Amino acid sequence: MPYYRGVCNFCGTGCGHLLQVEEGRVRGVYPLPGHPLSQGRLCVRGWHIHELLQTEERITGAFIRENGQLRQVALNEALAYAAKKLQKLSGEEIAFLASPRASNEDNYLFGKFARAVMKSNNLSLASDAGQEESARVLLEGCGWPAATDSLSRLKQADFILVAGGDLTRQNPIVASEIHRARRAGAFVATISPRKTQMARLSRLHLRPAPGTMALVFEALARIIYEEKKVDLEYLNKSTENYQDYLNYLEKINLEEILDLTGIAREALTELAGRLSSAKLAYVFYPTGVQSLDRRTMAALFNLMLITGKLGQGEGGIIPVAGLSNLLGSYDMGLSPDFLPGYLRVADENSCQKFEELWQTKINRTPGKSVSANLAENKSLRALMVVDHDEEIIRNVSRIKELELVIYFGAYQNAFARLANVIIPRPSYAEADGTYTNFERRVQLNRQKVKPLAEVQPLWKTLSWLAQALGHNWHYESAEQVMAEISRVVPQYSGLTYEKLDSSLGIKWPVDERHPEGTDCLLLKQNNAKFRFVLEEKSLSQSALFAEKSTNFPFKLTVGRSNYFWHQNSVMKRTFIPKREYNALLLLYPKGFVEISAEDASRLNLREKQLVRLISESAEITLAARISPDVLPGQLYIPYFVEEMIPEFLLRQVAELEKNEEYFLPVKLEKVG
Amino acid sequence: MYWLEQSQVEMLLSKLAENYELFGPRRDEVSGEVIFDRLEDLHQLDLSAPIPYNPPKYILFPHYEEILKYRYNRKTKEVAIERINHLKPKALVGLRACDLNGLMCLDRFFLGQEFVDEIYLEHRKKLFLVSNTCVRPFPQCFCVCTDSGPAAREGFDLDLTLAGERYLVEVGSKKGQKMVEELGLKEAGPEAAGWKKKVVDESVSSFDAFAVENKAWISRATNRLTTGFIKPEVWEFIGNQCFECGACSFVCPTCSCFNVEDVNRLDGTTDRVRTWDSCSFEGYTKMAGDHNPRKPVEDRRNKRFFCKLSYSQSKKYLRPGCVGCGRCARVCPGDIGLPNVVTYIRREITGE
Repeated sequence: MPYYRGVCNFCGTGCGHLLQVEEGRVRGVYPLPGHPLSQGRLCVRGWHIHELLQTEERITGAFIRENGQLRQVALNEALAYAAKKLQKLSGEEIAFLASPRASNEDNYLFGKFARAVMKSNNLSLASDAGQEESARVLLEGCGWPAATDSLSRLKQADFILVAGGDLTRQNPIVASEIHRARRAGAFVATISPRKTQMARLSRLHLRPAPGTMALVFEALARIIYEEKKVDLEYLNKSTENYQDYLNYLEKINLEEILDLTGIAREALTELAGRLSSAKLAYVFYPTGVQSLDRRTMAALFNLMLITGKLGQGEGGIIPVAGLSNLLGSYDMGLSPDFLPGYLRVADENSCQKFEELWQTKINRTPGKSVSANLAENKSLRALMVVDHDEEIIRNVSRIKELELVIYFGAYQNAFARLANVIIPRPSYAEADGTYTNFERRVQLNRQKVKPLAEVQPLWKTLSWLAQALGHNWHYESAEQVMAEISRVVPQYSGLTYEKLDSSLGIKWPVDERHPEGTDCLLLKQNNAKFRFVLEEKSLSQSALFAEKSTNFPFKLTVGRSNYFWHQNSVMKRTFIPKREYNALLLLYPKGFVEISAEDASRLNLREKQLVRLISESAEITLAARISPDVLPGQLYIPYFVEEMIPEFLLRQVAELEKNEEYFLPVKLEKVG
Repeated sequence: MYWLEQSQVEMLLSKLAENYELFGPRRDEVSGEVIFDRLEDLHQLDLSAPIPYNPPKYILFPHYEEILKYRYNRKTKEVAIERINHLKPKALVGLRACDLNGLMCLDRFFLGQEFVDEIYLEHRKKLFLVSNTCVRPFPQCFCVCTDSGPAAREGFDLDLTLAGERYLVEVGSKKGQKMVEELGLKEAGPEAAGWKKKVVDESVSSFDAFAVENKAWISRATNRLTTGFIKPEVWEFIGNQCFECGACSFVCPTCSCFNVEDVNRLDGTTDRVRTWDSCSFEGYTKMAGDHNPRKPVEDRRNKRFFCKLSYSQSKKYLRPGCVGCGRCARVCPGDIGLPNVVTYIRREITGE
């Protein structure tokens, strides 16, 4: 039986697949037909995961750096060396960069190692702050940090809104489900500045000027309120602070918003009407590099709340995670502020609970993200990293200054070359582990291939390190780590490997009240009330545009495509997805910027003509690509063209990366 | 023809297992779905299972396969080439007629043209094929529209048709005849052909009741595709729904496009690897010097359906390139499996 059931490890959709394994090597992949979410579909990435899993560009042994050179050593020796170095460090001096692709078991112990062993709250993923902000907004508004429903009833929806991103590229199978719902009769609307494929498949596409999506949601709420389609009785019964929100809506200047967003009133009125009359409504937004910002997510949450789409149990808000275990990573507390299960570091009771569970003291001071540490923390001396290569582009000089970089990885990459200690990790097909998709579906992916002897799972190497540092960590298997997770994380309390083995995923919360998991969160809630998420500074609409400058007339945004995202070292090890990426890049060897046909003709630009992009702090020369997908006044650079990033985007990427709503004011000149 | 009792199926399998690796339909224990897989245990074979989700094409034309190995010596500038000759004989048991027709299309592509593909030939000549008549169609089937089922007409070594409680066995080759004699199967007599025809006729007439997912009246579509009278709007409508995943090609029993890569191994050798490819990818048709004859997605879609259904292409396969298995309709994240495209072409849909 060479086909083995498993879970795809690329994006946060968590599709089911079958890996074809022959003589200890993964030789092919096929979609798993009976999977409840993917139902026998895979995207271009998923169809080529076996190419990645075949690569020999692996880290197959442990290394330590001596006199500037990496030397291969036995795994024990590398761990002993690392433990000796770690002994002298704690708290502020060390930061932990976790991987959103690693399993819940690995991630849980990585977080526990940071907090319980090294007493540090400097623990984060890299550039996926959108998921964390989304969790904050949802926690504040409805007490749950993730999707309020799953996709199981999507086909019955009559209204679906896709806000931002490029869903058919980022999470194609989620987009496919929306496409199916549309064919079954749902009204699908897309709000995004670019004309994406999702937009082409939608009945209505609104293209607000970059940076104004929050205003669109507020305008929709205002229109619905004006038209007296708001159920005040419901709001009074189910929400705490609706009066504050209504007061806020009353102050909104609709004409000004129409002007700033560039959207026609009729389109907004139609969308408002469709939303308020919908019986089962869903909104989707991406979390990941291209997520919405906090203000936009809050505005969207408030819109769904005021139209009564959250209290009915089904439907609601679906944040779509860009990377395989992004949601699970936050469930496991890989954040400076959140402990496992979304308890706050700042909350004394939570800290006490964890000190009891972990039988050790933890640090009460909330930490900072790794990027913030690298940028601001002068006392930082060490970094522990799991399978990553993004940070490197931005912070390479600071990382080189550190005394100690311990890198746990499966694949060779640029970050590993900066490390003092390298500890090999198995690929996801070589170890047992659970992964949590954007629907909260926890799926067990079993080991299918045996790794080399020196390649041990992260939970095991971390346990050895913890023991060497005097902690009583005795985990014999990933299953035992899950047993501890189920004691520590309330949402996972009813999960066991036995249960997971005989299922195709169980959606958290899984507990005494919901032993088989939970499809929609809000349906089963107690009488807790919702809150509108109000921002103190959100009133100043015009402040957003104060910097609107005539010197830099174009608004530049960045995005990512499905073949490469995050310049990620993963896709480069495949053939077909890599070729597809190269097909585009070869046409534009220096990278490209997309410009509308109107602007191109005004500036007298031909296709592929070289142009100079100038921002306040940097400039770059690249080819113009005339595209029907961008509006006049806007420019677009796909984030995946790695070659362009160090040159130009690097200096501004921190801003651009925060979320899709950020844009860079630039000017554009013809070269020659 | 001969009779094979249910109780003799295991005997057939054991006999085959002496000389062949066994492949056939089995059910996944958790999802309940059918996979055409290598059987580690004879009892995994389920001859009554619906059409498997994956076609058996991967057994002759794997998703990823080394087709040769070489070592380049930098000093002497010599290349030592190693042949791949580890391919084992395999028996495919319980092939549905559509999938057997798919294999015959692959034969015509890999073996029937100017160049004969040695690796494919190596796989092919070591096969033992046992087909299995669909006595009742499955929901996704439309092989009656593509003339490729519900029973196989040629290409098998043995063909099974469930008639009542036992199988009628038709012999299609000398290898098959030898197997039947070795097993000592009972002859079914001169009426057997009539019994088989009755089973097949009943199956054909039950398509309306059971094969409800797809219909594809392809002769009209073939006409329009061949003459090129399809409006560009139809292709655009189809192209807008294409997610460019390649799945339709990967699951198609007749799709034969491949990509070749040289992969350097740590031991200093290089593997020349053949992998599945798809005409839906932009990089597939890209040429040196930036030219791409099929750059927009709708042109690439157009090409695929031309390959499946046009008359000129069908002449190469000696049949339409579609065998009516309905898999592309199930794996497509858009809504453009072949039966739907045929419908769009017939209706000349230009929008919604």
